[in-house]
Amino acid sequence: MADAGPVKPSTPLAEAQLAKLVEQGLELVGTGDRLDLRKRLDQTLRRLKDPSIRVIVVGEFKQGKSKLINALVNAPACPVDDDIATSVPTVVRYGETASAAILVPKEDSESTDEANIERRPVPIADLPSYVSERGNPGNTKKLVAGEVYLPRKLLTGGLTVIDSPGVGGLNSSHTLTTLTALPTADAMLLVSDASQEYTEPELRFLRQAMRITPSVVGVLSKTDLYPEWRRVEEIDRGHLAQVAQDIPLFSVSSDLRLEASRLQDAELNAESGFPGLITHIRDEIVGKAQRLQRRSVSQDVLSVTENLRLSLQSELEAFENPQNTPQMIAGLEMAKAEADELRKRSARWQITLNDGISDLIADMEYDLRDRLRRIQREAETAIDLGDPGPTWSEFSQWLEECAAAAISDTFVWTSERAQWLAAQVAEHFAEDEVTLPVLHVSDTGDALDPVDDMPTLDNGRVNPMQKVLIGMRGSYGGVLMFGLLTGIFGMALINPLSVGAGLLLGRKAYREDKEARLKRRQAEAKALVRRQLDDVTFQVGKQLKDRLRLVQRSTRDHFTEIAEVHHRSLADSVAAAQKAATMYALEKDVRIREIKAELKKVDTLARAAGAVAAEVAADAGRASRAAAPRGPEPPAGPARMAGLPKAVAAVG
Amino acid sequence: MTPSTIVGVADLVREALDAYRDDPASVAALQGYARRLEEPLRIAVAGMVKAGKSTLLNAILGEEIAPTDTAECTRIVTWYRYGHTPKITLYPVTGEPRSLPVKRVDGRLVFVLGDATADDVARLDVEWPSPGLRDMTLIDTPGIASLSEDVAARSTSFLTPEDTPSEADAIIYLMRHMHASDLRFLESFKDTEAGRSGTVNALAVLSRADEVGAGRIDSLLSAADIAERYRRDHSLQKLALGVVPVAGLLAQSARTMRQSDFEALQLLAGMERTEREKLLLSADRFVRVAGPEGLTTAARTALLERYGLFGIRLSVVLIRNGFGEPTPLAHELARRSGLHPLLDLLGRQFQARAEALKARTALVGVDTLLRTSPREGTGALVAALERLQVNAHEFRELRLLATLRTTGTSLPPELASEAEGLIGGWGAASHVRLGLDADAGPEQLAAEARRYLEKWRAVSENPLTDRSALEVCRVVVRSCEGVVAECSHLAAQPA
Repeated sequence: MADAGPVKPSTPLAEAQLAKLVEQGLELVGTGDRLDLRKRLDQTLRRLKDPSIRVIVVGEFKQGKSKLINALVNAPACPVDDDIATSVPTVVRYGETASAAILVPKEDSESTDEANIERRPVPIADLPSYVSERGNPGNTKKLVAGEVYLPRKLLTGGLTVIDSPGVGGLNSSHTLTTLTALPTADAMLLVSDASQEYTEPELRFLRQAMRITPSVVGVLSKTDLYPEWRRVEEIDRGHLAQVAQDIPLFSVSSDLRLEASRLQDAELNAESGFPGLITHIRDEIVGKAQRLQRRSVSQDVLSVTENLRLSLQSELEAFENPQNTPQMIAGLEMAKAEADELRKRSARWQITLNDGISDLIADMEYDLRDRLRRIQREAETAIDLGDPGPTWSEFSQWLEECAAAAISDTFVWTSERAQWLAAQVAEHFAEDEVTLPVLHVSDTGDALDPVDDMPTLDNGRVNPMQKVLIGMRGSYGGVLMFGLLTGIFGMALINPLSVGAGLLLGRKAYREDKEARLKRRQAEAKALVRRQLDDVTFQVGKQLKDRLRLVQRSTRDHFTEIAEVHHRSLADSVAAAQKAATMYALEKDVRIREIKAELKKVDTLARAAGAVAAEVAADAGRASRAAAPRGPEPPAGPARMAGLPKAVAAVG
Repeated sequence: MTPSTIVGVADLVREALDAYRDDPASVAALQGYARRLEEPLRIAVAGMVKAGKSTLLNAILGEEIAPTDTAECTRIVTWYRYGHTPKITLYPVTGEPRSLPVKRVDGRLVFVLGDATADDVARLDVEWPSPGLRDMTLIDTPGIASLSEDVAARSTSFLTPEDTPSEADAIIYLMRHMHASDLRFLESFKDTEAGRSGTVNALAVLSRADEVGAGRIDSLLSAADIAERYRRDHSLQKLALGVVPVAGLLAQSARTMRQSDFEALQLLAGMERTEREKLLLSADRFVRVAGPEGLTTAARTALLERYGLFGIRLSVVLIRNGFGEPTPLAHELARRSGLHPLLDLLGRQFQARAEALKARTALVGVDTLLRTSPREGTGALVAALERLQVNAHEFRELRLLATLRTTGTSLPPELASEAEGLIGGWGAASHVRLGLDADAGPEQLAAEARRYLEKWRAVSENPLTDRSALEVCRVVVRSCEGVVAECSHLAAQPA
């Protein structure tokens, strides 16, 4: 089997060590009555067992995204084509044996929640017919994603690479899909080929994406083909530096790497530029995610030991210094009351959270409405300018694109605000550093999905039969009128005069009818636009609102749990201290010994967890790529749309 | 173009000049239109940044004069027109035009702007004694979707001005893949002029076609497939008269192949196969790894720069397959690069109706003038203008072509596509309209044209044909009559 380059196995040792730590913690908590602590450690253990570090590969189409992934894992995981290839996101992750699956939404389900998605295994050779533009043009099969499992060392650390359909192309709803997937990604690889420097749409996407995920790596692909790639690289570095400080840029050639693995040529592999990229992914992206993981695990263990020690310590204190017990109990009671405050619904942080979320929802709705209203106005102007019938399909496409662009702006802004809000709430918890909740709100997938396609509009054609009928309607009256009139002079009902009048009136009727039909079509088109945008506002508003509620709920649960545990420990301590005061001397000695033994264990565990935390901190210090701290200011208000593409283009 | 139309347009411009003689701005504009009618057709080369506009321009000219670079290079709109001696004139935004020294490095022009920056320059005008420029003026434009917004804006305002006809009569639009920006631009180009006169006058080129398949030998075949897909794409079809894939770099270098290039390629072709494949694995390797005896690093770098990896791979294969002389090899490369189909299409679509395109630009200009600043006595002008617009058969053909490609008609599909051909949708020459070979004799052409004429007369006389289709029939019948007249005339002449 081709090895994925010079990749070292990703620290399974450390993981085992961490797992052991957590298990020790579980043992200590024992089967006692501290179920809350136990639950917390169980969760930690589960997270540890199934790590997932998601790296999403994005870029304009035809930049070599799929081939980059293939070269990364040295397997034809994603289909590659000379024309546009990828139509459905493909997830590449670790598996014991090479296999593939597709994710399809369950039938008769409305939303795209995790629960409503079915995983259907497919032969790995058939995957291209599901995820490529050739086999599944424009994702007509309505797949959520394709999945490929590969036994590669690179992927063992939980690394998951996601191939996305190209953005910036014809379909700006792809951009939206990619943006909505970003919050759950740990890093983003922006692929652009070496034929030219970054273009304006690419940098615009980068700026937008940077607001959601700051961990971005630039990849310059196809260096084998372009002799001048070093110049392009240099220019691109300049562009990246303008967007943000230290975005790394790697120049690679997927073809060389694939060739190298075929020939088993280490030199060629080095030339392909991949070792650098892989090292970066392993050390920086995976490493950083693992550091975060280790930190949160060690913090969990530490906080559990803190909680355990508190009650043990107070009990011991009560035994050893009985005269101080009332004082101590009073102090504990006070702390308990404070903790109780935090638990209550009326706690200040709860208010901050609730207010923040309602504000956010209101702002979001206003923002969305405002953007869509602009589009609507522009669309109506365009409709007034001409006959919307013949150009309806282009027009509705334009409308969809505008709406998608507007929604992605709102989306970016909302997710920024939600993160900021979580940080605000955390400030209420003065005690040491409180971990921020991980807002892994399941990505909304296609926020636009539930919106029905734009209905068709009568294209304004009238078939000959209808024309004849319309004309007849007019001419009938004419013939009759003039025929009767001329009948007075003894002429037949059908005579040259009455026929002439019939023809004239028939033409007039036809012309009037034509005008009326145009007016009607315009009115109808406007109504359709309004209805469509209403639909979008309604559905997307609902989706975004659900998303925010989910943020609210997970934030609240997260902090409530912290408050609960804290409160519980204090209450336990009070109880223990009180109990100690009423104990007999003999029992006392036994208990003291027990407690001391317990405490010793707790201390050992705390020291071990502390060591891990310190190590992580040192690592992070070495890597020193900590994201810039978020300012206390909320992100700037809804960025108004800079200007829509001319609607007039759609309706000539 | 029937002489009557072009004369009519020239007359109209003259009359307008008379009516507006006291308004210097209008007079200048009108004189410009009058001059344009005499000049060769102006074709702009446009596209996104780095689409290969300057390279293609060089390829069309068969001479490497326009400067090209890896970084964004063309920042000023540059005109290339015919002149007996090389001459460069700089037109600043404000002030008098001045001459620039003609300086060339490796054959390419270097524009010495002196203390002026690109922002101060309205355009550069290069006169060059190149035979290709005799019947067309080429305009190189800065890229659209450029990172520096000024540059992109300069291009857009040049090609799609708000209230005057575009400086270009037609455009060759280059794109690497169909990008949203491309469509948006083509739409706005169509909007400005064609919105008023209802015609399509852009030609799309799938540029850098050699890079489509990562430089594999069969890249151009893939590119042809993609171009075919774009040709059928509804949104592009109505914006462009055709789509052709072109490998610009290859075309440029093939047309200017030097003996030294050929010798170097021959050396490469003589190498042992595995060695050569290793050498041609990547651009870096090609320069770094020692090649065959007698091929210096500098020579390899130059070769790579001129032909690209794909060009070298293809040339080597061709040499090994018997193209042992420079001239046949150059021809074969040019043929494969897709340049010939492009030149062919240029000839068919633009040159053949150059007069009509130029006349149309002039009409749009006069129309704008009459609409924006009407004065007493211009009523007759308006009427004359309308008469010209409606009656000139060439315009009706162009307009119908646009309708056929955009909204369509009520004709059945096979008839519609036949109509498209007959009114010159694939090219304005008689044999192209009739779908015959270029070597068909006048009698054969006339006979075929008569056959079509009768067929379409029958269609138009059919009572079930509705009104919009009748319009189409009328234009098609008129086109057929034109062809019949022309061919009969030709057939009668030699006798």
